[in-house]
Amino acid sequence: MSEQKEWIKWTEFARQITDPSNAHTKPEALEGIRVLDLSHGSFAGLFASSLLAEFGAEVIRIEPPEGDIARKMSPEGLEIENTGLAYIVEGRNKYHVTLNIESEKGREMLREMAKQSDVLIETYPPGHMDKLGLGYQCLKSVNPCLIYCAIHTHGQKGKLADEANRAGFGDYDIIAQALSGFAYTTGIPEEYEEFPEHTRVPTKMGNWMGWYAGGAFAALAIMAALFHREASNEGQYIDISPAEALMCLNNYALHFYHLTGKVIERCGNFEPAAYAYNYFRAKDGMVFIAGYTDPNWKALCSIIGREDLVEKYSTIKDRTNPENWIPMTREIEKFTMQHTRDEILKLWLSYKGEGVTVAGEVLKPIETMQFRHWYERMALLRFKDRDYGEVLVQGVAAKMSETPPRLKWVCRPVGADNGYIYSKLLNMDEKELERLKEQGII
Amino acid sequence: MKEKALEGVRVLDITRIIYGPWAATLLAQLGAEVIHVEMPGSGDTLIRLVSPGGVFPRNLSPGMMCCNANKYFVAIDMRKEEGREMIKELASKCDVLMENFKPGTFDRWGIGYRQLSEINPQLIYVSMQGFGNWGELWERPSYDAYAQGITGLAEITGFEEAMPVKSQAWIGDFLSGTIAAFTTLVALFWRNKSGKGQFIDLSQAEVLIRAMDWTWLYMAIKQQNRKRYGNRDPAVVPSCLVKCEDGYAAIAAFKKDEFQGLCRAMERDDLLEFLDYDARIKNAGKIYEVIEEWASKKSVDEVVRAGYTYGFAAAELMNAAKIHGNEHFNERRAVWKYYDPLYEELCYPFALHLGKTPGSIRWSMRPVGFDNEHVFRRILGISEDELEELYRKGVVGKWDASIPTTAPPEGKEGKTIY
Repeated sequence: MSEQKEWIKWTEFARQITDPSNAHTKPEALEGIRVLDLSHGSFAGLFASSLLAEFGAEVIRIEPPEGDIARKMSPEGLEIENTGLAYIVEGRNKYHVTLNIESEKGREMLREMAKQSDVLIETYPPGHMDKLGLGYQCLKSVNPCLIYCAIHTHGQKGKLADEANRAGFGDYDIIAQALSGFAYTTGIPEEYEEFPEHTRVPTKMGNWMGWYAGGAFAALAIMAALFHREASNEGQYIDISPAEALMCLNNYALHFYHLTGKVIERCGNFEPAAYAYNYFRAKDGMVFIAGYTDPNWKALCSIIGREDLVEKYSTIKDRTNPENWIPMTREIEKFTMQHTRDEILKLWLSYKGEGVTVAGEVLKPIETMQFRHWYERMALLRFKDRDYGEVLVQGVAAKMSETPPRLKWVCRPVGADNGYIYSKLLNMDEKELERLKEQGII
Repeated sequence: MKEKALEGVRVLDITRIIYGPWAATLLAQLGAEVIHVEMPGSGDTLIRLVSPGGVFPRNLSPGMMCCNANKYFVAIDMRKEEGREMIKELASKCDVLMENFKPGTFDRWGIGYRQLSEINPQLIYVSMQGFGNWGELWERPSYDAYAQGITGLAEITGFEEAMPVKSQAWIGDFLSGTIAAFTTLVALFWRNKSGKGQFIDLSQAEVLIRAMDWTWLYMAIKQQNRKRYGNRDPAVVPSCLVKCEDGYAAIAAFKKDEFQGLCRAMERDDLLEFLDYDARIKNAGKIYEVIEEWASKKSVDEVVRAGYTYGFAAAELMNAAKIHGNEHFNERRAVWKYYDPLYEELCYPFALHLGKTPGSIRWSMRPVGFDNEHVFRRILGISEDELEELYRKGVVGKWDASIPTTAPPEGKEGKTIY
């Protein structure tokens, strides 16, 4: 018989085995995997390689000699050390080199690096890499094990890809949000007259959701290809469209249309399949309140002292009727707008009657930042970086017991690792690098 | 037939609603064998009964069908001791277990990571939570809409002069599920090298925080909130959604040659004084006004064709109907139309285009307990008599025809499909 184990509380145990502050004592899952990231003005590619870099892959960011235009994408033009804020977030753990892949010497150097790498990510217009002699067919011949991931809203084949190839435009978040149908279902409906007309339109997500979805799918596909390669010793080509990625994340919009011929329309903060399951205006912001099955709806109405609403909207069918959403909300807001979010949360927590109804705060990001939770779990992190000083950025999302992801550095200046990487991979000495620099190749 | 990337990987999917099921279906699309566990009778009522207007065409559930493709469906009552024993048996024969019950529930039931990792040290145990298994907020209940609300994602979406807007899509579930699937593959990759399984704790709120680009760094530097910018991107100028004569379109032209192309298309060479990136950000308001004004007098098609002609990015704002009929997406099978063995002609969005090991959609959701025989007999090696006994005791079960979407369509009750 084995000894009686000390059986501590689950949350304590879970914390012990996954506490990210111990991450540096543990191995990295993707150690030994080398990734070339040629993302150009696309945070889909940058996020994909960030995910791999967080797990210990050696990611080499290849920028043009003047730096990637993604460094210029920043609110109010804010920069630290000539780098925009968004890029600083996604420069994490990556080695930064410069290379002019338009030049013959640059292409030769890239082919040589591809020979020694496991994964290549690029976000150029479809066909661009082929034109340079750096497409998959070409690189495959120097490295059959290479996993080549091309990312572009318009994909690498099909009618739209051909147009993008001819016109030569880049991969953009807003295009993914539009093509995917995601922006179509987001936003305040026309009938909601409380709000100014120009705000009752299809609406993009505030963050770069198209890019982040595209990056997540690219990273997932790359891992599947790496897993397959372990068994088969074969690389492969991956074609990821951030528009299609976001399309996959848009609930059942497409399935439902196919089944019924009905288009899911935008409905603001309502949920087409359940009410109440939405946001309500409070005195100082908004609150989320859920109570959609009959007993739970009854509980909600009893808390606000409006039993008459139970009668008036008594079935799920009544409540999911879009015509009722705005009138029901106006009635409930008569109550919620008289109270602060805090008061509403407390009131909901103190409810002891039948049924279950939940209330939660809708916060400004600056309010969210006050929770200790994100810092203890390192979802948010104050980090002292060699090149960028003290910054506050997202940490890593996943907590893991054996191979936790981690943040090692936030970013590097343009070409900061030229010396290290080119001597390591291409065996170049300082003199040679100096010459390449003079020729504008690095 | 092409190979599957995750051939031979077996996943025990004891998840509910969307976040967990979506993660597991991505693995199933890539070729993993996924066993989805529900309660006998009702199944996962919290998602099976989700449909706009409460309609269930062909006895399908829109909420469930969008995140459960390619899975085998079994029904086990885990409140019963024998049911939990079956979970242990299954877990000992699986590579991955995914669950999204309240933190600590499985541990209390004796089927948590502590217990299962002793039976199967190679097991990858993925716990998908609202706020994680520990930390200040761990006990809070989680819904996608709450995750979008508490992280501030809704607050930065929409117009400053209106209100915060969440995405209608359950993005807190879908994006987080995608990251969960990715993280699972990282763990599998490492397990194949080290022989060790592990525990993964993934919070959906933390995934949204991770995806909020420059929000946090901006606020830390400026000591002020990130506001809502409507349909204009403040960091990529120009990048916007605009209203045209007959619909909406997206326009983006950040690269200098793209911006020049856009200015030419609009016949506004005067804007070229803002060719420099910094100048564009400083004069974003003016640039966006010009673009919005220009587009308002054009059709969507004219805007998109101008993009092709002059070399900037432009696209139609699509809806499900347009996507469904779109030649490009159909050719790519991003709109995957297929014949489902139970529910006949169906359609699924699809994005995992891998050359050698392409993912696929083979079937949609399934009725409660539909694959019991297949899974329990083939994988667990349970005899017919034993299985009958388990049915009799209610440890395992099938659908309850009085509850919508739990039963097979007429005539398909006895079908088995692999």
